[in-house]
Amino acid sequence: MSNKVAIIASNGSLFDAYKVFNIATAAAASEKEVTIFFTFEGLNLIHKQAMQALSMPEGKEFMAEGFAKANVPTIPQLVEMAQELGVKFIGCQMTMDVMGLKIVDFVEGIEVGGAVTFLEFAKDASPTLTF
Amino acid sequence: MLKADIKLDAKGLACPMPIVKTKKAMADLVDGEILEVQATDKGSKADLAAWARNIGHQYIGTIEENEILYHYIRKCSNDINVEKIFEYTISNEEITERPGVILDVREEVEYAFGHIEGAISIPFGELDARLKELDMDNEIYVICRTGKRSNMAAQKLANAGFDKVYNVLPGMTAWTGELTKNI
Repeated sequence: MSNKVAIIASNGSLFDAYKVFNIATAAAASEKEVTIFFTFEGLNLIHKQAMQALSMPEGKEFMAEGFAKANVPTIPQLVEMAQELGVKFIGCQMTMDVMGLKIVDFVEGIEVGGAVTFLEFAKDASPTLTF
Repeated sequence: MLKADIKLDAKGLACPMPIVKTKKAMADLVDGEILEVQATDKGSKADLAAWARNIGHQYIGTIEENEILYHYIRKCSNDINVEKIFEYTISNEEITERPGVILDVREEVEYAFGHIEGAISIPFGELDARLKELDMDNEIYVICRTGKRSNMAAQKLANAGFDKVYNVLPGMTAWTGELTKNI
């Protein structure tokens, strides 16, 4: 059985962030080797400023109260926890170039790579998830 | 409450925090010790059971009291150390037909979540101190979950002069009879 979980994060709303980091931390806590490839809007999730205030999808703003009540961790907290558990972050070089972003714009400890870097990790991962 | 070596407070935390905290807490336990996880996240019951199964720890059970879930997990490592094997063994089926006493050497929590009616509970770690609770005249059938702790316990008893001791195999993991619970 594969001990790897590969995740592609390609969307940038608050919901997407929870989906990505909840699965990633749960997998890492289950002793899986986890890598997340952040591409397009997914780069928001690890962008130093953007990750502090990710938007709710349009029309779902009322759920903010529910998030507060359920006592779910904030995205920066989940990012820190994921890294602490050994989850590897790869930022997509191509999207960064298109958006004019540099590695210093992101949380510490990320790697930057292209699609092949991710594919190399994902080739024997089970499951590979896309958000 | 049941006896645990370490208690983890994960109350008020949402998924995936109970799992993340449990993983971290497990690092502080030694093999065979019991972790109690207190949680209010209803999903934690299924999650912790699945988590333990995946990692190889023993999920013992959950009790709910005043909307708080108390989960019990016993730390297990993967090392299979085959020590000296106690030569007198008896099967799960045979012990029900014999007149002796059943000695259950699993932890108190494991016993509470299901044991054979009438079995005496002395966790392996307390055996030395509690030998006098056992009657040498009886046949003693020592049982645990898989036969490993009971193997060591049977040797301990034999060394202490008990001469009618049997290790029960395969143990509670394959027990198909009635179970008595103390919870």
